[in-house]
Amino acid sequence: MARMKLEGVGVAYPVYNAASQSLRNQLVSISTGGRVQSARGHVTTVQALEDINLDLKDGDRIGLVGHNGSGKTTLLRTMAGIFRPTNGRMTVDGRVSTVFGLGAGMDPELTGYENITRMAMLLGASRKEAEASVPGIEDFTELGQFLAMPVRTYSAGMTTRLLFAVATAVHPEILLVDEVLGAGDEAFQEKARQRMSEFVAKASIFVLASHSPELMKQFCTRMIRLERGRIVSDEPIVPDPPKEEADAAAGPVKEKTA
Amino acid sequence: MLAAWKRRQLATFLAWSETVARYRRSTLGPLWLVLGTAIGVVGMGFIWSILLQQEMESFIPSITVGLVVWQFISGVVTESAGMFVKHATMLVNIRMPVYLITFQAFGRHVINLLHNLVVVLGVFIVFPHYNSWTSLLALPGLLIVCINLVAIMQIVGIIGARFRDLEPLIQAFFPILFFLSPVLYRPGQLGAAEPIMVFNPIAHYIRVVRDPMLGVIPSVGNYLTVLALTAVTVLFSLWLTGSRAYRLPYWM
Repeated sequence: MARMKLEGVGVAYPVYNAASQSLRNQLVSISTGGRVQSARGHVTTVQALEDINLDLKDGDRIGLVGHNGSGKTTLLRTMAGIFRPTNGRMTVDGRVSTVFGLGAGMDPELTGYENITRMAMLLGASRKEAEASVPGIEDFTELGQFLAMPVRTYSAGMTTRLLFAVATAVHPEILLVDEVLGAGDEAFQEKARQRMSEFVAKASIFVLASHSPELMKQFCTRMIRLERGRIVSDEPIVPDPPKEEADAAAGPVKEKTA
Repeated sequence: MLAAWKRRQLATFLAWSETVARYRRSTLGPLWLVLGTAIGVVGMGFIWSILLQQEMESFIPSITVGLVVWQFISGVVTESAGMFVKHATMLVNIRMPVYLITFQAFGRHVINLLHNLVVVLGVFIVFPHYNSWTSLLALPGLLIVCINLVAIMQIVGIIGARFRDLEPLIQAFFPILFFLSPVLYRPGQLGAAEPIMVFNPIAHYIRVVRDPMLGVIPSVGNYLTVLALTAVTVLFSLWLTGSRAYRLPYWM
């Protein structure tokens, strides 16, 4: 069914500074000839991903780890089809959904309800599906009458509740998640985890980028470590043993992610 | 593009919700659009009809349509240079056809235009001088102009995302274009200088919409120019989107 294959995928971003992004410099460089421009070369290229080979099939639960800037988010965005690889080939079979960049498309002036429709539709739902997801989101967020108020009046935790609920309201085949369970109070954290596991259970392929070893152990069966845009290790995660042994088992996993 | 068309429901919803959000905290809401245009028409109509020594009865309908069409065109073009940049968080976080952003931005301007049509309607009721079946010719004219504007938005949007100078450049030039375009006057009033209007595309856009409403059938030259411009911009925008749009997230 769902399948995602990356063969020698590389992503290189150009980083334009103000000088190279301005029309004036481009015009000047036309009149002064290409050589000067390349000598001044303001465009820095960042190789964010290099030679990534992955073959993900039904049932794969992948955890992505690595330092800040190691390419986790770029890899997720590439898998989601937002960045087109500059090298290599990528084939995706299945409906992809993403839980990252929480709040993309949210309008603080609109009410909670209006934002639910708006964001759900942006994530690929039809108007009907979006409206059908409202009762579930009402239950999950426990925001009550606040849902009828503009989102700008929400606290950070309340906003996270809403965003998370909307993002997890659709049922994707391939699910890509960038660490999201940061905000919210403890009760919500617990609820969010529960919701995540239901959500993950429904997806055929699941990829999570996170710095949290506990989350990795809870949701993933395979851990891929990125370093400077390359895959440096790819190993199975030992399934979570019963509660008493959890502490002992947490040891080696923690070491790896430290 | 097809993918975006399939999601037109979303584009219209986005356009509508953004308009709603903008006016949420004002009492008159979108009525301000109508009021603003009405005040502009009455004020400018009064002053300029005296300055240009025109009969108010014929001048006010002319300036009304001129202003409304001008606002539509300048609004669309001025906004388009920054529209992808403004939606950067969406572009780098959600996979979607780039036309979606174009459609929703254009949709917002169509909503504004529809509001302004109330003023046009009002003026043509007060000054029924020109009402005739010829007026209906304005509709196909407006349709071609709309298609053309979507293509221009897409082109300017993509180039504007890569070269950030485009937005201030356009903002600097549009106020002058206002006087170089036949908004306040009609091209015929320029006398010997009329031929320069041939080189101003906006003049052609205004004519294919306004002339029929004033009982004049636009010339074949006007139509041909507008159609040719539309064909060229549509083809160019399709090519540009096909070859460059995938790089948009990298430019944000």
